[in-house]
Amino acid sequence: MENQKDTIVIGVIGSDCHSVGNKILEMFFTSEGFKVVNLGVMVSQQEFVDAAIETNARAILVSSLYGHAEIDCQGFRELCIEKGLDPIILYIGGNLAVGKTPFSVVEEKFKKMGFDRVFPPDVDLKQVAELLRQDIKEKFGSCSKGQEAGARANQTSPKNQSQPADQISQNNNNRKEPEGSRTE
Amino acid sequence: MKTVVSIDIGSTWTKGAAFELTASELELLERVSVPTTQNNLVVGFHETLARLLHQDGHTSLEELKGLAEVFFSSSAKGGLRIAAIGLVPDLTLQLAKLAAMSAGGKVIKSFSFSLTSSDVKELERLSPDIVLFSGGTDGGNSKYILENAQKLESSRLSCPIVYAGNRAVAEEVVNIMKSREVIVTENLMPEIGQVNIEPAREKIREIFLKRIVVGRGLAEIVELFGAQPKPTPLAVFELISAIPEFYPEWSDLAAIDIGGATTDFYSNTESYLETDTVVLKGIREPKVKRTVEGDLGLRVSARSLFETGEDYLRDRLGEEGLEFKHMEEFVSRISDKIDYLPVGEKEHIFDRLLAEACVYYAALRHIGGWKEIYTPQGKVYMQTGKDLRRVKAIIGSGGFLSEERTAAVMAIPLKKLRNYGEEIKLLPEKPDFYRDRYYLFSLLGNLIEKYPREASTLAVTSVEKLNQKGD
Repeated sequence: MENQKDTIVIGVIGSDCHSVGNKILEMFFTSEGFKVVNLGVMVSQQEFVDAAIETNARAILVSSLYGHAEIDCQGFRELCIEKGLDPIILYIGGNLAVGKTPFSVVEEKFKKMGFDRVFPPDVDLKQVAELLRQDIKEKFGSCSKGQEAGARANQTSPKNQSQPADQISQNNNNRKEPEGSRTE
Repeated sequence: MKTVVSIDIGSTWTKGAAFELTASELELLERVSVPTTQNNLVVGFHETLARLLHQDGHTSLEELKGLAEVFFSSSAKGGLRIAAIGLVPDLTLQLAKLAAMSAGGKVIKSFSFSLTSSDVKELERLSPDIVLFSGGTDGGNSKYILENAQKLESSRLSCPIVYAGNRAVAEEVVNIMKSREVIVTENLMPEIGQVNIEPAREKIREIFLKRIVVGRGLAEIVELFGAQPKPTPLAVFELISAIPEFYPEWSDLAAIDIGGATTDFYSNTESYLETDTVVLKGIREPKVKRTVEGDLGLRVSARSLFETGEDYLRDRLGEEGLEFKHMEEFVSRISDKIDYLPVGEKEHIFDRLLAEACVYYAALRHIGGWKEIYTPQGKVYMQTGKDLRRVKAIIGSGGFLSEERTAAVMAIPLKKLRNYGEEIKLLPEKPDFYRDRYYLFSLLGNLIEKYPREASTLAVTSVEKLNQKGD
C-alpha cells in the first residue's frame, strides 16, 4: 500500500549533472520498498528541503560525483533545522572529495556537517537500504502513515528518537524482500 | 440561421455583440457598449441586449429572450477575490496561485507554511470570495494542513474553502472545519513536480456560478435565461485554450489584455522542452496559463503601475525626450479621474508608455528564464518558469490594445526584456503581433462551450496582423 511506504528524497546536489547513477538509485530504492521522490540533477539544498517538507519525507539521500560536495553541502543540516525538519535523516554518497583524501577523513568531515551516514562510491546499496530502514525505525518508529509521523517529526522530542527499536511493531519486517539486488 | 448574443458585464462597461450563426459559421453583426449600471446590473444588460436586437428599451427581457440565444459573463466586481494557501512557496503555493488565476480569479493574498494569528486577521479583513487551501503531496505532509485547518475553522471567515491538498487528510480537514463550507477536490500537486490544477479550477468556477451571481440583479438574469455567467477572464482563457484545437497553425499563442485595473497575460504553449543542456527547476507549469497583475492597469491602477514601472518608464521617457515630472502629473490626473481621455500628442505618448510598462512587467512575471551555469560537464541552463520561445502569435485584447494600430506597444517592451538582468528571459523568438480588432475575445469566450469551432474561427479571422516597424 502506497501510504505505508517510507518516503525518501534523492538527488544530485549542486552544479553536478551526473544523471545515470541517480536513475539507478531511484530504481534500486523503489525496488527496496521505499517511495522515492527523485529530484534529478543539479538540485539545490532548498529544493531538497522543500520536497521533503511537502512529502513528509523520512530521509534525504544526497549524491555528489564531481568533487564539490563539501561546498555544496555547507549548512545543509542547519537549513533543515531552520525549516522544521529537525529529525530528518541525511545521507550522502559519491565522490565526495577531489584527490586521494582517505575516506575516513571525508566521512568525519561530512558527519560533522550533520550527515547521519556517509558512503564511498563503491558502497553496496543493499547495505545502504538496510541501514536506512534501521535509521528510519529508530527515528520515526515503524509506522510511516503520513499524519502520525508528521506530528511526531515536528515535535522533535528526544524520547521519540531514543525509542528502542524492538518495542516498535514489526511492520517494516513484512516488507517484501526484492529478489537479489541488481545494482550493476 | 439564428442570432446569438454574447454580453460581458464589466466593472465599467457592459459590452455586447450579436452574431449570426449559419450552418458552420459565426458572423459578427453588431458590437455595442453601454456603461455598467452598478446598482442593478440588469438595467445595463437589458439596454445592451435591446440595442443589439434593434428593439426599443421598453421591450421586456422576456420578449428579448425569444429573439436570440444569449450567453453572458461577468467580471464579478473586478474578478473573483481568492486567497491562496500553500505549504512551500515554490511548490504547492505556486500552484495554488496558478490555479486561482487560471480559474479567472485574482489572488488577493497568499500564505505559506503555518498561518499566524495575524495572517488569520488579515484574511478576515480581506474577506475573500474563496479560500484555496492546499499543501502536501498525497500521503505527504499533513502537520501544517491540519494546523491551518484548525485556524481557519476558528476564524471569522464566511467564504467557501476549496481544499486541494494532501488527499490522505482530506476527511480530517473536513471534520475539523465543521462549521465551514469545504469543497474537497484533487490535490494540486499529488507528487513532487506533478501539476494537477484542473480539478481545483473547475471547483472555483462552480463556486463562482453559485455564489457570486447573487445580488445586483444577476440572479434574475440567470433565472430568466437559464444560463450561468462565466467569469470574464475565464472566458478568454477558454478561448485561448480552444483555438489551437481547431487551428493547429495557431498553436503556441499568447494574448495580453490591458485594462483599467489589471493586466492579464495568457499563453498556450508547452512550458518546457527537455534537452540535455536544460534542467527545469521547480514546477512544470501548465500548457495554458493565465496570470493577472492587479498592480498594472491604465487607470484605476495607474499609480501603482507608475511606481512598479519607474525604471522602465524613466528609460523610455529618456528615449522619447520627455520629462518624468510631466508624466507624473499626467498619472495623477488620470488616477483622480479614471474616465479621463488623453489630450494632445504628449498625453497620448504617456498613455502608450503606461501600456508598454503593463506589457513589460506582466511579461516579466509570466515568462520564465534560463540561468547559465558552468559545470564540470560543460555549460548547462537552469530553467525556472515557462518557456515562451516558440510562441508565434501575440494578440492584444482589451479596450486599449484592440485600438492599437501598430505592434509597438507590445513589441518594444518585449524587446527590452531581452536584456533583463543576468537571466535569459524565454521570450517569444519571432512572434507576429495581432490585435483583437473588434474587442471580441471575452465575448467569443462565452460561446466556447456551445460553439467551440465557430467561436475559434471568428477569433482567428477577426484579428488583424500588426506592422512591426523596423525591428
